[in-house]
Amino acid sequence: MTEPAIRVSDVTKIFPTPFRRRRIVALQHLNLEIAPGEIYGLLGPNGSGKSTTLKIILGLIQPTRGSVRVFGRDNSTVAVRRDIGFLPENAYFHKFLTGTETLRFHARLSGLGSRESKSRIAELLETVGLTRAADARLSTYSKGMLQRIGLAQALIHRPKILVLDEPTAAVDPAGSRDIQNLIASSKKTGTTILLSSHLLTQVQEVCDRIGILHRGKLIREGRLEDLLAIENQTEFIVENTTPEFLDQLERQIASVNGRVVLRRKPQTSLEQLFLKVTETRDE
Amino acid sequence: MSSSLGRIGAIARTTFIELARLRVFYVLILFALVLIISSSFIARISFQQELQVTRDIALGAINFFLSMLAIVATAQLLPRDLEDRVIYSVLAKPVRRFEYMMGKFFGVLGLLTISLIAMSVLCLAVIHLREGSAVRETMQQMTQSPPEELERALTGLHQAGVNQDLAFALLLTLMKAAVLASATLCISSFATSNIFTISAMAMVYLVGHLETIARDYWLHQHSAGWLIRAFLALVLLFFPDLQAFNLSDQIIAGASLSSLALTKLLGLGAVYIVGYLVIAIAIFTQREL
Ligand SMILES: Nc1ncnc2c1ncn2[C@@H]1O[C@H](COP(=O)(O)OP(=O)(O)OP(=O)(O)O)[C@@H](O)[C@H]1O
Ligand SMILES: [Mg+2]
Repeated sequence: MTEPAIRVSDVTKIFPTPFRRRRIVALQHLNLEIAPGEIYGLLGPNGSGKSTTLKIILGLIQPTRGSVRVFGRDNSTVAVRRDIGFLPENAYFHKFLTGTETLRFHARLSGLGSRESKSRIAELLETVGLTRAADARLSTYSKGMLQRIGLAQALIHRPKILVLDEPTAAVDPAGSRDIQNLIASSKKTGTTILLSSHLLTQVQEVCDRIGILHRGKLIREGRLEDLLAIENQTEFIVENTTPEFLDQLERQIASVNGRVVLRRKPQTSLEQLFLKVTETRDE
Repeated sequence: MSSSLGRIGAIARTTFIELARLRVFYVLILFALVLIISSSFIARISFQQELQVTRDIALGAINFFLSMLAIVATAQLLPRDLEDRVIYSVLAKPVRRFEYMMGKFFGVLGLLTISLIAMSVLCLAVIHLREGSAVRETMQQMTQSPPEELERALTGLHQAGVNQDLAFALLLTLMKAAVLASATLCISSFATSNIFTISAMAMVYLVGHLETIARDYWLHQHSAGWLIRAFLALVLLFFPDLQAFNLSDQIIAGASLSSLALTKLLGLGAVYIVGYLVIAIAIFTQREL
């Protein structure tokens, strides 16, 4: 087997709480392995330890026990972070910088030359749809716009791994669709993605594999199809048939002792509807 | 190595831009007002004294404003970055924590330098104008006096005017502000709010100005035992002797500062700065974000 992109081995994180006797155990014996090119979704209720996990992977906080390796290297070395782009939850940046300045700053931090960063910044502003707001200060940005600039910042140095903490929080449906598309296209270039989210439908659409955290423990993990498949059922959506044919089909199913659980007209989702009616809003 | 400098530079630049856009420079307008208003109320005893008092006020005002700027501007750097979670995206890049701290420090240093230059230009212009008019009027009044006396009066004026000592005093003011900035960074590396940092720094500021007097008192009035000496040494270790950087008193008295003494003072300042930064970085590296 090839070296995993991220390997979290037996990580426990205990936050000391001064003035209180009970310590907060944020993570318990967590093991994760994320293969190169995989999209992994970390799910869990509030306070289950998702952000803590991601911060430990980035080396922003130290695990109490256990270790993290990124492409086989210890994550405390600076070189490791050249390969990772991180979007923190509720991303916020220097309010007094403009969008372009923010990206230039992060480009410099990632060691990009000035010519290289210039074209990269223009490209990324386009990708996240902030070209028009590029020269406005971040203090005037909306929450969703901040999230987009955060995403651009994470992508600036073309990292091999993207770690996204609730990437679509506060972003409107079209924006989160854009972000999902971005994730999907990053996958095509072989980027490994680890994201946390509460939005289950989105996770379902983009992730190859998911893990569910609950109170700091990984209680379920696996490929999405395997976890969600209902083994004894099959679903099909058909078009252009007659009601008589469908009745006939139902009788045939009954004749082999099958049972039709549900027969209905498929409905468009509210999301689809929203996207359709707001499609032209930018142009 | 060079990329490390590049990152420190990027952080320093951003810190500087941030501070500049926070309009901390507005403090300088207040400074100009203080300087202009106070200098127009000076009693004319003699030209030399008038010049000296103007210089004293100007140096004192620069000293005070620069020190305040150093403390207030530095105290909010880390809390802001933590609160806005800027620090996560910055430290998630290939940035070492010492680079982050150094960048912050140099950003503040840039701000202090520019502020000092702005204030100095203003104060030098005022002093230069006054010196010029004082020289002219003295020559007019003393046309009858013997040449040695005129000579002496002009030397006196020159000593109180724009000269090398004034430049030294300004340089030391910057050094003192830099020491204060590094001390502030050190305290804010473990502080949880900037109110705490500023209060603690107010104490450092006070103790730093009073400890010379206290030390002289203890060492001369009492036959100081080793316990007191140790205590004083300990105080000096944590509270820099800020009074040592205030040269205005000596300079006003016309006593020249040797470049050896200047070098010694700059060296002392550098030692404090390096010490504070090392502690600040050590604490910050361990800190949970
Ligand atoms: N710096 C800290 N000090 C003390 N406790 C902390 C700290 N950071 C997180 N915790 C605790 O660790 C637990 C996990 O927090 P974490 O932020 O990882 O949750 P999360 O899964 O990201 O939640 P959410 O969905 O709300 O973002 C919580 O109980 C939280 O109170
Ligand atoms: Mg979280």
